[in-house]
Amino acid sequence: MNTRNFHRTLVILLLALVGTFLLSIFVGRYPEPFWMPWRVFRDDPLARLLVLRLRLPRLLTALLLGMVLSAAGAVMQMVFRNPLVEPGFLGVSQGAAFGAAVSILWLTSHPLVIEVSATFFGLLALAGAYYLSTRIRYGGWVLRLILSGVAVSALFSAGVGVLKYLADPLTELPELTFWLLGGLYSVTWRELLFVLPFGLAGIGVIYAMRWRINLLSLNDETAFSLGASLGRERLVLLVAAVSATAALTSISGIIGWIGLIVPHIARRLLGASAEKSVPAAMLMGGIFSLVADDLARTLLPGEIPLGILTSAIGAVLFMYLMISMGIKVRNHA
Amino acid sequence: MPDILNLEGVHFRYAEDNPLVLEDLSLEIPTGKVTAILGPNGTGKTTLLHLLLGLLKPNQGAALVAGKPHRAYSRRELSKLIGLVPQFESIPFNFSVFEYVTLGRSPYLNPFQMPGGEDLDIVENALEVAGIPHLADKPVMEISGGERQLVHVARVLAQRTRILLLDEPTAHLDLENQNRILSLLKKMSAEGTTAVMTTHDPNAAIFAADYFILMKAGQIAAQGSASAVITSENLSRVFRTPIRVEVNNGYTMVVMEKGGD
Repeated sequence: MNTRNFHRTLVILLLALVGTFLLSIFVGRYPEPFWMPWRVFRDDPLARLLVLRLRLPRLLTALLLGMVLSAAGAVMQMVFRNPLVEPGFLGVSQGAAFGAAVSILWLTSHPLVIEVSATFFGLLALAGAYYLSTRIRYGGWVLRLILSGVAVSALFSAGVGVLKYLADPLTELPELTFWLLGGLYSVTWRELLFVLPFGLAGIGVIYAMRWRINLLSLNDETAFSLGASLGRERLVLLVAAVSATAALTSISGIIGWIGLIVPHIARRLLGASAEKSVPAAMLMGGIFSLVADDLARTLLPGEIPLGILTSAIGAVLFMYLMISMGIKVRNHA
Repeated sequence: MPDILNLEGVHFRYAEDNPLVLEDLSLEIPTGKVTAILGPNGTGKTTLLHLLLGLLKPNQGAALVAGKPHRAYSRRELSKLIGLVPQFESIPFNFSVFEYVTLGRSPYLNPFQMPGGEDLDIVENALEVAGIPHLADKPVMEISGGERQLVHVARVLAQRTRILLLDEPTAHLDLENQNRILSLLKKMSAEGTTAVMTTHDPNAAIFAADYFILMKAGQIAAQGSASAVITSENLSRVFRTPIRVEVNNGYTMVVMEKGGD
C-alpha cells in the first residue's frame, strides 16, 4: 500500500473512531432503550450527570482498552513471530485474573486495590513465564516462551479455580464471576485516571517503535546483523505491552479476542509492515471495543459481560477471516 | 594494515558439555575479495560465519574486525560494517519486497526513527542493483525461491556494508539464479566489498571466489588460491568421495566420479 492510500485509510479510520465515540455518548438505556435524544441530554439534568459521570469515563476506558489490547496483540504477534498470539499469552490475563480474585476474596473489593493486585500478578506471570523459558534447554526461544506461557497460565487458572471454590457463593462468587467475564460497568473517572498513565505509556512506546517492530520479527541472526539489541528491544516492547494490558485488565476483567483479531484485520487492510498496521490496529481496536461495549450496555435490560461479547464477535470474525482470506501461519520455532 | 576479518586460534563449542565445533582455527579473510568457505554439511561453516559476524563469541582465541575484537564496536557500528544473508530466513509476515528491503536501513536509524527519503532512495537503488525493481510491491511470501534470495541480497545491499557474509547463498537455486547471485557478488567485490560465502558446492565456489578455505570437521584442511586448494586429492579427502578436478580452456571444474570405489 502506498503512502497516500495509507494516510487516506488512517484518516477514514480516525473519523470512524471519532464518529463511533460521539454516537456512543447517546447510546444506552436511559431514559429509554438504545438512544438518548439530544433534547433529553439538553433538558434532563440526570441524563447529563449520567453522561458526564458514568458514560464518558466508560467510553474513554473502552477506547483505551481497545487500543491497548490491539497494540499489545500486534506487538506480541510480531515479536513472537506468531500470528496466533495475543496479550493473554504468557499468562498475563490469567495472572491478572488471579490477582483480582485474591483481592476480592481476601483483601477488599476496592477498585484501586483490585487494580494493583491484578497488575502485580499479571507482571508476575510474565516474569514467571520468562524465567521458566530461560531454564528450558531445548527449542527456539519462541517455543520455550509459548510452553512457559501455557504452563504459567494453567497454574494461575487453577489458582482462580481454587479461589472460586473457596468464595462465598452468596456474596463473593457473583462479584468474582462477573469480574472474570469482563466488563466496564464499574468504571468511573477515578479508575480511568489510575490506568490512563499505564495505557498511554504502553501505546506511546509501541507507536514510537512501530517501524522497529518489523526488524524484531526477523530471524535472530538477521535482526542481530541489522544492529538490533534483541534482548533489550524485545523487553522494552513486551513490558510496554504487558504493563498496559495488565493495568487495563485490572479494571475490565478478561477481554479476549480483540488483541488477536484486530491486528489480523489491520494487516489484511494495510499490509504486514507494523509501521502502518500498528496505528491502524490501534484505531480499529478502539472502534471494536466501543461498539462491543455499546452492545453490552444496551442489548439487554441487564448488562452483558463485555468479555462474552468480544469473544463471540471475535470468534465469528476469525472464522470468517480464516475461510475467506486465509490467515497465513508458518511453522517456525 | 590489518586484514578486515580474521580469526586467531579460535575454539568454539555451543555448550560446555558439547563437543568442539571449531578447533584451533586461524584464518584471514582478504579485503575486497570473494572468499569461499567450502566443505561438506556439518563441518562448522555456519558457526564460523556467526563468529565472523560477532553473533557467537569464541571460547578461546580471538575474532577480529579490522584488527579489533567485535566487542570494541557498538551494535550499530558493527551492523554498518558487516551484513549477513542467512541460510534460512523465514519471514513470518507478508511484507512487500520494498518494506523488507527497507529493513536493511536499520543500522542507520535509532529504535524510534522511521526511514526517510534518503533511505528510500538507497532501497530503490539496491533493488536496481539486485535486478529486481519490478518486484518492489510484491509480497515476499508470493515470490519464487530464486527471487527471494535476490531480495535478501538487496536487503544487505541497502545496508551498505563493507563486508558481506552469505550462508549457502546458492543452495536450492537453479543454475540461472545461481549465476545471478554469484555474478552480483563478483561485481560487488570488484567495487571493493569483501564477501565471504559458505558453500558445499565446489563449482559455485570456483565460479565466484578468489580465495578458498576448505574445511573438514571443524578444522581447516587447506586455504589459499584455487590452484592450491581445489585439487582432486583435497576435495576427495574432505568430501569423502572420489572427485576429479578438470581444467578446460583455463576454467576449473569439479566432477564427482561414478561409483565410489
